[in-house]
Amino acid sequence: MARTISFSLRLTLLSLWGGLVCAAAAQTAVIFSETTLRSDVSEVRVTFSTTDQNNRVVGTIQPTDFAIVDQDRVVRDFRSFNRSEYTRMEVVVLVDASGSVAPQSRLEFSKVIQLIAETQGVPDESFSVVSFRDLKPAVVCEGHCRELYTQAKLPVITSSGLTPLYDSIVFASRMLARRNDHNTRRILVLFSDGADTISLKSFSDAMDSVLDNDIVIYSVDVGSQPQASRGTLVLQGFAANTGGRYFPIAAGTDKVIDAILEDFRATYTVAYKLPSHAAGFHQVRILPTHDLGLQFHCRRGYYYPGKGEN
Amino acid sequence: MKRSLLLAVLFCALPISLAAENRLHQQGTIVRMRMTDCLGAEHPLMQALSGSNRGPSGEVCPEYVLVTDKVVYVIVGKTSDQLVPLAETTRFHFQNNEVLIRVDDARRESRFHVKAMMLRPEWDRYEQIAETEAMTAAHHHLEGAALVDGQQ
Repeated sequence: MARTISFSLRLTLLSLWGGLVCAAAAQTAVIFSETTLRSDVSEVRVTFSTTDQNNRVVGTIQPTDFAIVDQDRVVRDFRSFNRSEYTRMEVVVLVDASGSVAPQSRLEFSKVIQLIAETQGVPDESFSVVSFRDLKPAVVCEGHCRELYTQAKLPVITSSGLTPLYDSIVFASRMLARRNDHNTRRILVLFSDGADTISLKSFSDAMDSVLDNDIVIYSVDVGSQPQASRGTLVLQGFAANTGGRYFPIAAGTDKVIDAILEDFRATYTVAYKLPSHAAGFHQVRILPTHDLGLQFHCRRGYYYPGKGEN
Repeated sequence: MKRSLLLAVLFCALPISLAAENRLHQQGTIVRMRMTDCLGAEHPLMQALSGSNRGPSGEVCPEYVLVTDKVVYVIVGKTSDQLVPLAETTRFHFQNNEVLIRVDDARRESRFHVKAMMLRPEWDRYEQIAETEAMTAAHHHLEGAALVDGQQ
């Protein structure tokens, strides 16, 4: 019996894991017997926000405005489509405190901390700041971060130091994952130049951790190089693959906060029938059906368990 | 008198030319889309058949599967940003072995290489077989997991 429960739990966890990764895939048929639990995942849910050609959030979207490309299959028939039921945000601001970031970044992230602290909908206990340099990340404050700004206890940027970016993203993802609440949107605001010099984890590990925990990354490029670097691509990759957005530091922190709030208010969730039972990672894109100026921001996909994956 | 005759001729010719245009235009539905290597200057169908479909620059281009009543076309754009709205119906026509699609209010039509063609019944059959195989593989996996657990 203990084995049965253990196996059932394993399959249930597998299903939950798959569901989280794909922005929730619902089980539609679960048959429980003494030794076997079969799960037929047949619905995919994707949460997304929309911007126009001027990068402004589009508040109202109709199901006829877009189609979903799952793997390579185009889906236009949706089982449901409605505004997301998020009622609150859980925010971690992750700050690169190594010497490679631009000198003005400290001022900018202090502004972001102030703006988030003043934002309605982010309770004091749901807002944390983590900095990273040298070997590992450090929690600057976990809850009660409003005092951080007023007491000028912001992370100090040193002129040297190693940069454990990917390790820190995994660390922050785990912090955000502690709140297991479907009505909470988990947001990671990343201040970095995208460079990593010492992490044990890889870019893929960091991305998987973020996707597993259903986290959206808003990356702010604080790189001191005027032209796009490899780090820029890393930051753009994190934002694009999680349904978030990328901003150069010059855009101003107001824009970052505006984007977070606007996306929070204007996200939709669409559910559709699983178009293919091919096992593995299903890449998801949302593309317009008529207005090519619309851009849809959603996570990059989900895992569908199948042969060869245990 | 001449002017009225000319108008009458034009009036009669208009429906004929519209009908001819409608006959040239076809419509279908895009059912698949992916980004793939762009096709080079070589004839795209021959290139696809020979298997050397890597573009010279490593650039990726959109590839669409366009399904009509009788034929299924695999078409590839010439540049990475040659996107087509994924509406229920896509109107297109052929010119010089290329598929031309007008996108919204664009002044010019987008030109696509034809990478492959297949008769619709044949394509439907392939699709059905592929999906059945994928479902069988998924069920085998779950049953295999149950068996392993039972032996532990």
